[in-house]
Amino acid sequence: MSKNKKEQAPIILSPSDIERAFKKVEDFQKLLKKGKTRQQIIKDLIKLIEINDESN
Amino acid sequence: MMSLTELFFNIGSKLNIISVLIGGLALPAYNVGRTTLDIDIAIYVKSQKKLNRLVETLSKYGIQTQQNPKINHDLFTIYGKKNEAEIWLKPCDEFNWDQKMVERTFYIEKNIRVLSIEDFILTKLARSDRTSIDVDDIIQILIANSDSIDWDYLNYRIAWANVKKDFEKLLEEFSQKAISEYQDIANNILKQYQKSKQNQSFE
Repeated sequence: MSKNKKEQAPIILSPSDIERAFKKVEDFQKLLKKGKTRQQIIKDLIKLIEINDESN
Repeated sequence: MMSLTELFFNIGSKLNIISVLIGGLALPAYNVGRTTLDIDIAIYVKSQKKLNRLVETLSKYGIQTQQNPKINHDLFTIYGKKNEAEIWLKPCDEFNWDQKMVERTFYIEKNIRVLSIEDFILTKLARSDRTSIDVDDIIQILIANSDSIDWDYLNYRIAWANVKKDFEKLLEEFSQKAISEYQDIANNILKQYQKSKQNQSFE
């Protein structure tokens, strides 16, 4: 379990990091309130990432 | 038309291979969202024979890999015509599957599973190339799910993966740096963690 670790980001947070995190959570909640489901959001993200591949 | 990701999960399901979405793409399962460019999937395969069968079946559907994946590898890359995805043979480069972790996976969509929220937090915290984005993701997951996290299980896992110090540092930073508007939530999260820690010490 304890391999030599590569470069890991240190755990440092600023008040603005935390504020941003709360805002992002609020934004996601708003999406859900508008009727988007978590499943739809994952599907939308997949669509955004993947280039339309006709072979599939 | 099916995406490479969906096709992979369908094939995994047909072959009875537990496959879970990991990385940024899995975040919405935990009530968090952000854009990502990567498709990362972890599979639970116990034999080389089954892994070979997966590679052969993917190939039949036009999904190739240039590697010759072995059961003891960390990951391999698959390619559709225009897309690619990384297939991990473990949930995180720093730890492997165990039965408890497998049992706690759940379906977020037909054929698409994700890790339990606690194990997902662990993948973000323990990974050898952890970035500040991972740290941000963990904070958001804690905020969005503080009441549904199994704190006793999370406590057990962070000790198991040897990341207790990092997790406690994260909670400390969170509760100390949160502005007054968010202080109650940050303290509540810290309190829930400390309670589970006490429970553990009594066991």
